[in-house]
Amino acid sequence: MAAAAIRTEGLTKRYGDVAALDQLDLEVAPGEVVGYLGPNGAGKTTTIRLLLGLISPTGGRGEIFGLDCQRQPVEAHRRLAFVAGEANLWPSLTGAETLRLLGRAWGSGVDEAYRDELVARFELDPAKKVRAYSKGNRQKVILIAALMTRADLLVLDEPTSGLDPLMEQAFRGSIREARDRGQTVFLSSHILSEVEALCDRVGILRQGKLVELGTLAEMRHLAALTVEATFAGAIPDLSGVPGVSSVQADGRVVRCQVRGPIAPLLKVLAAADVTELLSREPSLEELFLAQYGGGA
Amino acid sequence: MISRLTARRAVRSGVIFGYIFGAATASSAISYTRFYKTAAQRDALAAAYGSNRATSALFGPAPQLQTVAGFTVFKISMTLILLGAVWGLLTSTRLLRGEEDSGRWELLLAGPVTRRGAVVQALGGLGAGVGALWALTGLITAVTGLDASVGIAAGPALYFAVAMTAAPVMFLAVGALTSQLAGTRRQAAAYAAWVLGVSYAVRLVADAGLGLHGLIWASPLGWVEELRPLTAPAPLALVPIAAFTGVLLAATVYLAGARDVGAGIVPDRASRRPHMRLLGGPTALAVRMVRPAVTGWWVAIAVSGLLFGLIARSAGGTISGSSVQVLTRLGSRGNGTDAVLGVCFLTLAVLVAFAAAGQITTARSEESAGRLEALLTRPVSRCRWLGGRLLVTIVVLLASGVMAGIFAWAGAASQHAGVSFGTLAEAGVNLVPPAITIAGAGVLAFGVWPRGTSIVLYALLGWSLLVVVIGGVGGVSRWVLDTSVFHQMASAPAVPPHWEADGVMTAIGVVGALAGGLAFRRRDVQGE
Repeated sequence: MAAAAIRTEGLTKRYGDVAALDQLDLEVAPGEVVGYLGPNGAGKTTTIRLLLGLISPTGGRGEIFGLDCQRQPVEAHRRLAFVAGEANLWPSLTGAETLRLLGRAWGSGVDEAYRDELVARFELDPAKKVRAYSKGNRQKVILIAALMTRADLLVLDEPTSGLDPLMEQAFRGSIREARDRGQTVFLSSHILSEVEALCDRVGILRQGKLVELGTLAEMRHLAALTVEATFAGAIPDLSGVPGVSSVQADGRVVRCQVRGPIAPLLKVLAAADVTELLSREPSLEELFLAQYGGGA
Repeated sequence: MISRLTARRAVRSGVIFGYIFGAATASSAISYTRFYKTAAQRDALAAAYGSNRATSALFGPAPQLQTVAGFTVFKISMTLILLGAVWGLLTSTRLLRGEEDSGRWELLLAGPVTRRGAVVQALGGLGAGVGALWALTGLITAVTGLDASVGIAAGPALYFAVAMTAAPVMFLAVGALTSQLAGTRRQAAAYAAWVLGVSYAVRLVADAGLGLHGLIWASPLGWVEELRPLTAPAPLALVPIAAFTGVLLAATVYLAGARDVGAGIVPDRASRRPHMRLLGGPTALAVRMVRPAVTGWWVAIAVSGLLFGLIARSAGGTISGSSVQVLTRLGSRGNGTDAVLGVCFLTLAVLVAFAAAGQITTARSEESAGRLEALLTRPVSRCRWLGGRLLVTIVVLLASGVMAGIFAWAGAASQHAGVSFGTLAEAGVNLVPPAITIAGAGVLAFGVWPRGTSIVLYALLGWSLLVVVIGGVGGVSRWVLDTSVFHQMASAPAVPPHWEADGVMTAIGVVGALAGGLAFRRRDVQGE
């Protein structure tokens, strides 16, 4: 069996009394696209820095394709490409020089034609010095530097910060291409629509602990289903139906939210004269907010 | 707001430098009274240095060496003037252009303050730092002067402090102006450093006894010298100093309003054709990135070496009798030309050691600015990155040493000084071990206390320099002297290099670097 692209066992990082990451058990299969969510300070970047071997764990261990992140960082890095949320580069180098440097530092397998294609796709002017780039353009440089390697694993930490909506689309296209090629993607992001659009599975981190991990379908239980029913005649009383909450009536239209099994509600609605029934699954944003007590 | 923020940081460093200025003045004055007690000893000192072209060129003229005040001015004032000028240009470029580079100024400028208003406020804050420097220097000198054997009154002590503060003020203004001209802090500091270099060179030529003394008025450092504190005060020289500072500050404020925030007046070409050389990996990149700074160090070392060689013969010719004893205390045991070169090579050793410190702080700044992560998240091990940087450092230091020897020989040979190439090449290589010790200590700090790397490096350098300068006059215990890397270095070519001591210093440096490298492998990568 092929080794997991990412595997952690009890991975922990403490700073004094504060656990930045607490007992993380995570496994990402080759070819998967996994989103990694959490508010600021939840431990997302700490996880990534531990996986990259930039910091040492206080406990537990992490592996990239079976290679120990701490003991075999160079071997592990041959299999991955990383995009940081903030592009700290050499101000006096131009974009083209930076891409050459980062390509050479990665190894010999960089496809220069693909690099040039990415430069065109992200509309980067490679003759400009890094010092003269905007934040978004600097971010494009490190995105291209990572994508051009076609590494087996892409580790992305807030990769689209500073990108405009058009470039965000170009990014999503590139990630889909990577997935189609069989690359694994580990995407830490604040942009929930991005994660929803790209990821097979989503992990949610809270105060250093992984509180949810699964497909979006598996996670629907976290938040309520929104149901909207239109009646021809009298509106039934839905307030006592098990699992139903937030009932709002507007003329002949009733909106409510349902947690758990929907059968009790359907039984009540079937007995009434329903002319139209709409139901909507919770979005990732609603799931996320539900996890953090912000609503839904 | 801006003036308070700037003042807090400027006063902090002004106090540190004021203390250093005061302590150096006090130690120089007191050691003179202890070691040159009789009139005969003082006359001999005056005979050795009073009309010595070499020391005059390097340190300025030496009138009234028979007095505590005259000796103190001769012994330390040029060092303090240069140190103060460097402090001034680094402080203003750091607190003006550096703050702008970091983006913090944009936050402040978004409030109800204009660009010109912000610069005026920052200059006010820098003024507070200068005030602290002046007050501490004056206070410590005045208190030292109370000692009957020193005998410097409060008025002259405060005037001396004014003279020692004049260069810092002028170069604060130079740095403030270059902060408007250049687009980055590094560039601003480099422009200001060139102004300082030219000022020193012009003053040096003026004082070299070549009949060009009039040139002294063409150099800001020359104006400071013409203030002649403690010997023959000439406050009229304050006029060009005040005028120069005033013009620069006015230009600074004007230009601050005439340019965009974050940009300099001198246009920085945003685009250029790519230069793909030296981008093959971390070590090649290190070579590419350190080239400008290393070129600067090499020019400084080559010019100094050449100059020392040029003046060695004539300077050596004036040495006789008890002045040999003075040079012995400064580390030289030879006679004539060799003895003078021995002392001059100490200056070169300091330059090479500073170049070493610069290499290590640059390595740390790669980490603190977050750029190191771009390499370490690729298949580049920490050992490979640090090893490459240290290799570059070693090559830079060896080349610096050899170059110092070659250029000193070229200068000396042109004057038929009779010093062999081999002797000076050897003396050049002899400069490298102290720098390796400094670099090794810096790598150790980088490994175990990365945020303290520059503190450790410059504290060690400052201490070593202070000990060897004060020790040159005598009265410092052997144990203290041994803590200075420059004291451990034999003052070749006056005496043959102590290869054994050089070996020990190199070994200490290597062990420090290895221990630091091991610690770096195990620790977390840390930002600022």
